[in-house]
Amino acid sequence: MGKTSKDKRDIYYRLAKEEGWRARSAFKLLQINEEYNIFDGVLRAVDLCAAPGSWSQVLTKKLRQNSEAEDDVKIVAVDLQAMAPLPGVKQIQGDITKLSTANEIIKEFEGLKADLVVCDGAPDVTGLHDIDEYVQSQLLLAALNITTHVLKNGGVFVAKIFRGKDVTLLYSQLKQFFSFVTVSKPRSSRNSSIEAFVVCQNYQPPDGYVPTMANPLLDHKYCDFNEFTGPNRFIVPFNACGDLSAYDSDTSYSLLLEGQTTYEYREPVQAPINPPYKEILDKTKNIDIRK
Amino acid sequence: MSVPIPHIIKTDITAVKLFGNIVLAGIGSWAHVYDLVSNKLLQTVHALRGQKIYGFIPSKDERNIIIFGGKQFSIASIDWSFDGDRKVLRLNPRVGPIICDDWLHAVVWTKEEEIAALTAHNVVQVWNTSQERLITSSHSKDNSILYSGCLVPLDDDVLVLAGTVFTDVIIHACSEAEPLMSLKGHRGVIFSISCDIQKQLIVTTSDDRSIRIWGPSTTVTTPANTKEYWKTVAYDSKYEVYGHTARVMRSYITDDLIISVGEDSVVCFWDFQGNILKKNMAHQNGCIWSLDADRNNLVTGGGDSSLVLHPLTVAKEYGEHEILHADVGNPKKIYFTTRRNIVILNERDELQFYDVELKSVTETHKLAHESTYKLMSLSSCKQFVAVADMAGNLDVFAETCKGEPTLRKLVNTKLKFGKILSMHWAGNRHLVVCSDNGNITVLASKGNEVETVTNFFLPQSKERWLTAAGIDSKSRLFAVGDRCGNVHIYIIGKNNPVKTLNKVHGRYGPTSITIKNNGIITTGRDGTIKHFDLTNDTVKYMKSIDLNFEWVEKFLDKNENIVCGFQERVFVVYDITNRSKLVEVPCGGGHRSWDAVRYIEQIQDNYDEFIKLIYLKNSELHESIFQLGKIVSRNIVNGSHTKEINCLQSHLLEDKSAMYFISGGEDTTLRISIYNTENGPSFHDSAIFKHLSSIRTVKTFNLDNNKILLVSAGGRAQICIKVIEFKDIENKLTVESEELVDYQVKGTDKERKGNQNWKSCGVDFDPEMRMMDIEVIKVDHGKFLIVAACSDAILRLYEFEYSDNKNSFKPAGEIKYHKTCILKTKTFRFQDKDILITCTTRGQVAFWNVTDNLTSNKIEHHINSNDAKPFYMTTTNKSGINSINAKELSKEEVIFATGGDDNAIHVNYIKFKEFKCVEKQGTKVDNFHCSEVTGLSFMDRNLILSTSIDQRITLSKYEINDDGLTCNFVSQRYSDVPDIQGIDVICETSDNATVCVFGKGLEVLNVDKPR
Repeated sequence: MGKTSKDKRDIYYRLAKEEGWRARSAFKLLQINEEYNIFDGVLRAVDLCAAPGSWSQVLTKKLRQNSEAEDDVKIVAVDLQAMAPLPGVKQIQGDITKLSTANEIIKEFEGLKADLVVCDGAPDVTGLHDIDEYVQSQLLLAALNITTHVLKNGGVFVAKIFRGKDVTLLYSQLKQFFSFVTVSKPRSSRNSSIEAFVVCQNYQPPDGYVPTMANPLLDHKYCDFNEFTGPNRFIVPFNACGDLSAYDSDTSYSLLLEGQTTYEYREPVQAPINPPYKEILDKTKNIDIRK
Repeated sequence: MSVPIPHIIKTDITAVKLFGNIVLAGIGSWAHVYDLVSNKLLQTVHALRGQKIYGFIPSKDERNIIIFGGKQFSIASIDWSFDGDRKVLRLNPRVGPIICDDWLHAVVWTKEEEIAALTAHNVVQVWNTSQERLITSSHSKDNSILYSGCLVPLDDDVLVLAGTVFTDVIIHACSEAEPLMSLKGHRGVIFSISCDIQKQLIVTTSDDRSIRIWGPSTTVTTPANTKEYWKTVAYDSKYEVYGHTARVMRSYITDDLIISVGEDSVVCFWDFQGNILKKNMAHQNGCIWSLDADRNNLVTGGGDSSLVLHPLTVAKEYGEHEILHADVGNPKKIYFTTRRNIVILNERDELQFYDVELKSVTETHKLAHESTYKLMSLSSCKQFVAVADMAGNLDVFAETCKGEPTLRKLVNTKLKFGKILSMHWAGNRHLVVCSDNGNITVLASKGNEVETVTNFFLPQSKERWLTAAGIDSKSRLFAVGDRCGNVHIYIIGKNNPVKTLNKVHGRYGPTSITIKNNGIITTGRDGTIKHFDLTNDTVKYMKSIDLNFEWVEKFLDKNENIVCGFQERVFVVYDITNRSKLVEVPCGGGHRSWDAVRYIEQIQDNYDEFIKLIYLKNSELHESIFQLGKIVSRNIVNGSHTKEINCLQSHLLEDKSAMYFISGGEDTTLRISIYNTENGPSFHDSAIFKHLSSIRTVKTFNLDNNKILLVSAGGRAQICIKVIEFKDIENKLTVESEELVDYQVKGTDKERKGNQNWKSCGVDFDPEMRMMDIEVIKVDHGKFLIVAACSDAILRLYEFEYSDNKNSFKPAGEIKYHKTCILKTKTFRFQDKDILITCTTRGQVAFWNVTDNLTSNKIEHHINSNDAKPFYMTTTNKSGINSINAKELSKEEVIFATGGDDNAIHVNYIKFKEFKCVEKQGTKVDNFHCSEVTGLSFMDRNLILSTSIDQRITLSKYEINDDGLTCNFVSQRYSDVPDIQGIDVICETSDNATVCVFGKGLEVLNVDKPR
């Protein structure tokens, strides 16, 4: 494959490099905001499963506009993995299923709660769709669980979701905590991709709900108002996000976009840090293990 | 085949269990029971609901079995009976499915009516199976999400081994709060844990591509099946081994082996010291998800939907190897004879005969050659041996058929036509000799001399000699290969080729040519086998079979099914029907002298197939013998696509005797599969064609009763067109294909770059787009318009002409109307015109009048112009449209439905007057599916069938009345196929419809219509 073939294949991959985003997913959050104005008035935001950090980049850029005093804006990024530092973002390398992580976030906000929690985390996909969907839903529920500790009432939660066979179970669960739950697909997310984003607005936990990390939140089971198959399934409204004039992630564009006269290849903004396959790459640099 | 068509499910096989001659396979939510001896499907049990099966756990007495997967488990009793002298089993579902509150990674029997299950949050649940009641839940301190786990019943507790996302394996006992130990070392997610406490062995596999073997680092005298042992012992990583090129999914510990399987389709056999014994490729490059083994066999289930049985002897008894010690001087060329003795041409100008029985050279024939440049060839029956030198000295020997094997000299002569450059047998009676200036002489024996049968003239080329020769059964027609990869066809009496097939194989030329049954089959060093049709003396290119090794040398059987060659330094024997490598020998490569034979021999009471290879290495004669029964894996269930199927069309033969599935997928293959029930249900890929990239769409056009035009397109802007004929030859259903067009919009890599290397190649600014969908519209007799919807928003038109003796394909215009990627197209007849609908990622739906505006005489006018316009355009869905269907209701009315990424189905009714919309009614339903709607089909009685990534198939009904258009829910069912990409209606009656949904696999099921 040529050096430019990824640039040709994916317009947002290329735009991300041109605009200095660490990943193309930055555009997804920007486009969700275009539709829902989720950044309005937000001073304290949490980015869960933040690595490589493109959503934190978006948050720093967008939230600064909400206050004259730069110090008022506080962004905390949490991830299990190490992430290259970002100015204006407090990083916590920790597990979102731990109470200590929730406490650390609150401490960073000086006792105040967050206005916005976002989570773009995805698991290591195995290729078996049901396991991948389940692990993704558990990641989302773990994110929701920590969110119940750190989000203010009325706050907003945005998270990646896989719209697989059991997604209605997650919808019904989210609806218990938020007045408005919609599912959105930014124009920068490919049509063929199973991923979408839930935008959960107006955090209102059920009466008497006490956040706890002692037990993980488990997803719901099928029931009368959310059947396994039948007319009564719990399906939330869908929205396509992003300007109609925005680039389309499925369309093949020329390297010379309309109005451009030159094209220059750019290296990715941030290379992966310590991937699990690193060892084997090092080991097999000089030998071929296929034999 | 009886009507209705039975249920078919083909998808990832995620669980397997061996019981002697019986194997259980978890295919979707169905447990399948197969007999290993007859390969027959004995029983299917719908064990779980809407959930794949991940494990079969029999009780110790083998009277009950847990079938679990996801959050569910069910229990069946096992009834054993005898079929003749063979033990067979039958499953009787007894309990469940019971739905737990969390994902189950492992389940074990703890008591007769009690089981323990490990959940994805590291909780051990104990269930009473007779009361179907949860007894206890033991939470571990560490409740992060697990990717794998293993439970081991101890005498006094249950041992839990939990594979975390943090690369650690945490070991704890169910009754203890504190973990006992962690196994640290992996650098990725733990995908599986196997444990054999008797052997004190733990094996883990991981995302990091490694397998780790763990054992005790301290000596503990208490037995390993007690909690006390695990409280005192410490385990550490004994061996960290690498054998897979991708993630390692599962492992299994047998009496003396560790077996691992991976995403790279490889099965590795290890000893307990981590030494690799054997590596086997098993599932067509698809991931292997499941495995189980007993003393004799290993069974694996894969992502290609196949179930494969491997004899365990492959690990330790892979062939017998020997260096044949005989005084053979310095051997140069070696060949097997008919009776599998060996003829050896040595450097001392001698031909020697090595008797395999006696293990010695029994004859030495001194040759009187002048030149050291020698040619040697064996006739196709291997009885005749011809040896010649460049100067023209020719000797022909024959091996005796009966009695003591000896070599008899038949011919000793001197050819007088200049330098001999090549010599090949064509069949058993003709020797084809090529000399200077392209003179080809065909010789036959006459007494102890030779006579010239005919002369041919080889067209000018560099290195002007032959690489292979073949003859037809009537000895009239010859086909020869030259050093430029061309195949020339000659007829006796004509000097010049009657036909030349250009560049059939690469620059080394064809390696073998076989002519039979009106066809030519050639092999080459470009990794392909090519088929040509010779009917009525016209030569038609039919198909190419791509093999995964470069150097394809020759067939070892009479049915052209077993082929051998070299993959770099390794000798390979390959089974074409089963698409599997039978034998691999790292002998050093194909440039040495070597030969191979295949034969059947009796072993005790059975017959088995053998492959014998001889080769020269360091001037020594090596021999390797392989008993295939000991080393060759066998399909119990045939595989098909290894990744998602993007497009599929079924083809039910008129008498409903068989069903064909034509499918293209992400694995870049186009497959034609046959399903029939003659000898029990069987599904196999009859033909496989490769594209350069993923195949997004296939469309067919019926030419004749059982003859279709097949057009496929997809990534890398590639369109391929074939004619496919479904044939019944001697009660065997086959697919014959003729490849007509292989076209890339931007040309092939070679056409684009020429001979430049990648460095000197400039950057091409235009992307190579994907063809998302395609339509074939008949314009005239033998004339078609092909419309391709492309990812660069352009609608491309092509003109295709097809007749018996010629076909042509050329671009006929580009329409730049849409602004974003066109995802789907649909054609239908309206007002006796062909109407095309195009749908985009922005929810736009455009209607085009093909007959009046786009067909060939009009196209010229439109080429590269932007003024072609649809007669109607509307926007339905909020984002991309992934499915469309439309039909004419009357001369003025059209109904169409679109389904999209927004999980909505839009149904629209439109009244047209002279192709102007005069009335429109529409409705939207967004609660039939919770994910992308990928398939839509209209059926009679206003019914709509829809399907989605959410794995539901919904039947709904639309109605048009005074209040407008409504669409109401009728019924819904679940499909086991993940990532559904579409639905195809196979046949429809007034009561039901048989449909095929496809995605990661396929399912054929019946949908009942409302009364």
